[in-house]
Amino acid sequence: MNIPNSSTAPATGEYAGDEVSAIVLDPGYWTTRAGFAGEDVPKSVCPSFYGQLDSDSGSQHLFGENAIHNPLGNLQIKNPWGSDGIVQDWDTATKLWEYAITSRLTGAKPSDPTKNGLNDGTNTNGDAMDVDMDAVENQEKPLEDSPLLVTEPGWNSAKAREKYIEIAMEDWGAPAFYLQKTGVLAAFASGKASGIVIDVGASHTSITPVLDGMVLRKGVQKSPLAGNFVSNQIRLIFKQSQPEIPLTPHYMVKSKTPVDAGAAAQATYKTFATPPTDSFRRHEEERVLTEFKESVIEVWGGNGRLSNGANEDIAKQMPGRPFEMPDGWNQVFGVERFRPAEALFDANAALTDADNPKPKDDLTIPRLVQQAVQQVDADQRPLLLSNIVVTGGSTLLYKFNDRLNYEINNIYPSTRNKLVAPGSVVERKYAAWIGGSILASLGSFHQLWISKKEYEEHGPSIVEKRCR
Amino acid sequence: MASGRDVRDMLGLPMGAGAGEQHTKAAKKAKTGGGVKRMQGVAREVAALYGERPPPVAVYEEEKTYRAKRQNTGPAKKWVQQPFLNQARSDGLVLKHWRRKHTPAPPVQDGEDTAMEDTDNTGPYIENCADFVKYNISVDLPTFSDEEYDAHLRSDEWSREETDYLFEVVRDYSYRWAVVWDRYDFQPANNMQSSQEGEDSIALASLPFAPPKQRSVEDLKARFYDISAKLMKLRIPEMQMDADQYSTYEILSKFDPVLERNRKTLATALMNRSMDEVKEEEFLLTELQRINMAANRLDAEREELRARLDAPQPNTQIAAGLQSFTSSQALGALFSQLFQQDRSKKRASGAGGSNPARLSLNTNDLAQTPSSNVPGSISAANRRQSMALPQSAAAQTPVRTLTPQQEVRFNVSTHDRLTSGVTFGSDKLLKMRQAKSNVQTQKIAAALQELQVPDLIQIPTSRVGEAFEALIGKVGRLLDVRKVREKEEGEIRVLEAMKEAKGGNSNNDDNDNAEQKRSASAAAPDTASATPAATGTTKREIPDSNAGSPIASGTTSRDPETNGGDGDEDGDGDDEDAEGDEESRQPSETVSSSRVGTTPAAQGHKRSASVLSQGSLGSATKRARK
Repeated sequence: MNIPNSSTAPATGEYAGDEVSAIVLDPGYWTTRAGFAGEDVPKSVCPSFYGQLDSDSGSQHLFGENAIHNPLGNLQIKNPWGSDGIVQDWDTATKLWEYAITSRLTGAKPSDPTKNGLNDGTNTNGDAMDVDMDAVENQEKPLEDSPLLVTEPGWNSAKAREKYIEIAMEDWGAPAFYLQKTGVLAAFASGKASGIVIDVGASHTSITPVLDGMVLRKGVQKSPLAGNFVSNQIRLIFKQSQPEIPLTPHYMVKSKTPVDAGAAAQATYKTFATPPTDSFRRHEEERVLTEFKESVIEVWGGNGRLSNGANEDIAKQMPGRPFEMPDGWNQVFGVERFRPAEALFDANAALTDADNPKPKDDLTIPRLVQQAVQQVDADQRPLLLSNIVVTGGSTLLYKFNDRLNYEINNIYPSTRNKLVAPGSVVERKYAAWIGGSILASLGSFHQLWISKKEYEEHGPSIVEKRCR
Repeated sequence: MASGRDVRDMLGLPMGAGAGEQHTKAAKKAKTGGGVKRMQGVAREVAALYGERPPPVAVYEEEKTYRAKRQNTGPAKKWVQQPFLNQARSDGLVLKHWRRKHTPAPPVQDGEDTAMEDTDNTGPYIENCADFVKYNISVDLPTFSDEEYDAHLRSDEWSREETDYLFEVVRDYSYRWAVVWDRYDFQPANNMQSSQEGEDSIALASLPFAPPKQRSVEDLKARFYDISAKLMKLRIPEMQMDADQYSTYEILSKFDPVLERNRKTLATALMNRSMDEVKEEEFLLTELQRINMAANRLDAEREELRARLDAPQPNTQIAAGLQSFTSSQALGALFSQLFQQDRSKKRASGAGGSNPARLSLNTNDLAQTPSSNVPGSISAANRRQSMALPQSAAAQTPVRTLTPQQEVRFNVSTHDRLTSGVTFGSDKLLKMRQAKSNVQTQKIAAALQELQVPDLIQIPTSRVGEAFEALIGKVGRLLDVRKVREKEEGEIRVLEAMKEAKGGNSNNDDNDNAEQKRSASAAAPDTASATPAATGTTKREIPDSNAGSPIASGTTSRDPETNGGDGDEDGDGDDEDAEGDEESRQPSETVSSSRVGTTPAAQGHKRSASVLSQGSLGSATKRARK
């Protein structure tokens, strides 16, 4: 007997749910999230980085957490996403996403007997094989049972959108497909149909005004001032400090001994016959920086900007935070820990060098919000500003919301501005996926799917017509 | 019983056995009925400790409720991934959701399962799921034909193509104008190409609109509303529209894009105010609120003051009842009132006035009440208060007009002014007996005793009171008259003594007589004609009166026996004399009745009065008994 309480899931009838075991795929720059609709957490979260092993016989792609952190000799770490926030390398992205789905959700199908190498010897009759080819291909498609909902960034190009449905229909054989923007889904995850979604991810920060579940395209803003930008700022801090702070990733350290703060590390390092590639090292360094961001970096959440008045002095008075590098080097970070994230809000505060020019002022988050709101009909602005949904992994920076709240209230002092930021880390990071999970499990959503039949009738352009 | 026995006899049942059975049954019943009722939820041992009488509070243990045992309804229900068709879709997409295994007798074969080829599932049965069809709603849009467009809807600003596009976008986004405007992206050439028309016609049609215009929301709305209004008018003539339709039509036809644009500019300006402006406005708003609040308070205070000046507060009225003395202020007022009353009562009794001390408020008292703080309003408040009293009484009880007879019957009386507090009728009567001086009081008491009026009148109704008051008035006058007569007699005696001393000088006597007459006439000139006779009577009367008690004389019993009409006449004259001296209001008729009747008529009159009072007394008692 199930006695309903607060923790039991509501019956499907209560929320108009009707689950059709749809799969929700939420690809991002840092991770790719996949899971069954109706669940509250994506079952499969795998890095969007992949390893490429170039050998004479051709390049081999390695996916998954274990593969890409393995210091192999000539392993290149790559990312299929382009710098503009749109997928660039479609082939690999397809494989990567397929891996994300099949590795945890649908399971790997037994490979085709003609290709698994066991039947090589007996393969004498090529014609017979050709006859079976169609049936074999049909069987291979990984998503034949499940409708697929894919998320896309708000600025996705029409071409990219068509590519999505092509992949889903042609490569994966999904019976039904739908494409929805991350902003809308993040708003859904917070229970809002209208609002401004501020999504600070790894590669991009995006501001998406959403009205009644529809993105206002003119208002969509994006900027590269996001998590990776903060990482670069940290690198600059490390580089510019005297003496320079060494950044040694985990894989290089064999053993370490404790040292005093600021003293040189005393560690023994691993030696590799063929040293890993630069891209691998950089990726591993990113992991250390991520840890640094999580534990040390703080957004200046006081009154005004960090550079304003005596704020910097106040920041200096605040207790520092210690951080220990993988090789044992450690230091207490004082006011420096406020600097890397400051540039998200104040372009003038950005640390610069030859490779990292000062970002444009228009790209800071307050400016983006302002521009986004500017593009919305005047009547809708107060409504949107009272539903500001904050999502994305980088918004987990300490005091990020305080600062954002201050900045927005500074721009719009006369409206009621309300930030909606889910408290739990999972909901903040995977808001778009959760929104997709909600959407795809609704009974009323069934009629919105683009079915395979429709796709065959109208071609990929149907996605423009149906998913708006 | 007999019939039962007969039946048994007829059926051939054993008589004794049946009777025995019945006995045992009855015994059983008695046992179960008469036995101690077993208490529930208490152990038998504990129940035994209670003895004969169980405690008044029932001690019941909550009966243990175990969760209902899981019904074992056979093997576990099977769930299957049930393919289903959504009615809202036209393409026959078959999706699968989990359902309890359905065992249809004949599986319905639906041909359209092209979307799902895999057949390792339950089988060909496809559910028809219509749960969510209700959410498949489409918007209503006005439609128009080419002729209508050409005839009515043409516009210089808008091409037909763009108009069509506008309608399409509005339908797609269900009138969400913000979204419509956001997505509005009309490309004439593009549109044309997709519609596969000839190049020439494209060029021709799109020539005036070659650069796609940037349309604002207001432009879009204006065009759409304009077309809607025109179509509405075409479909339903204005005259035939009902109220709703006409209001819609008015809204549609009166849309003014310029006004709307201005409004939005203002709204934007309002939103984009700087922090300082907002703060200033906030400050001003708080200031305004403060001023408003102060004004409200002032108004309330004024209102209260006005209410105090205008209408009497019910608290200050003594007659309003106990519930009015709820606040300490009211109690204080009451105390001061009682204090004043006490003082005035003392003063009245000390002065010994003939008027009984009433429990009433004089103006001094009223001046002490909180309602009349302002001296100028005393009299007004006073008057109003007295006027308000019957009103408030009427407000308390439903008004019912009574005929005079009924008023008498129910002893209802109306007063211009009520005395304060409650008084007993007997008190009132008692007070009437008391005069200013003790001697006078004793005289009144003697006179009343002589009249056989009891000390305690049993049922002192208001009418009895009135009669008694009249009687007391007469008694008072009688006493006055007697006083005068005594004085006169005294003078006469002195004069007679002087006459005797002089000897039988008739002249002197005459002189004296004339002197006396003069003095008498000085008192009452009307009696001058009666003086010759009066002298004789007075002569005779004097010893009489001397012999009689000086206090109580001239009553019904004595007057006829002493002398005839002469003395009576004299007395009458004296009486009139006194009357004229004291107050001229009393008519002579009442004087005669008060001057305890010597003539049978007067006596009869007096008797009738007493009878009347007795009658009223009787009726009062009757009423009281009732």
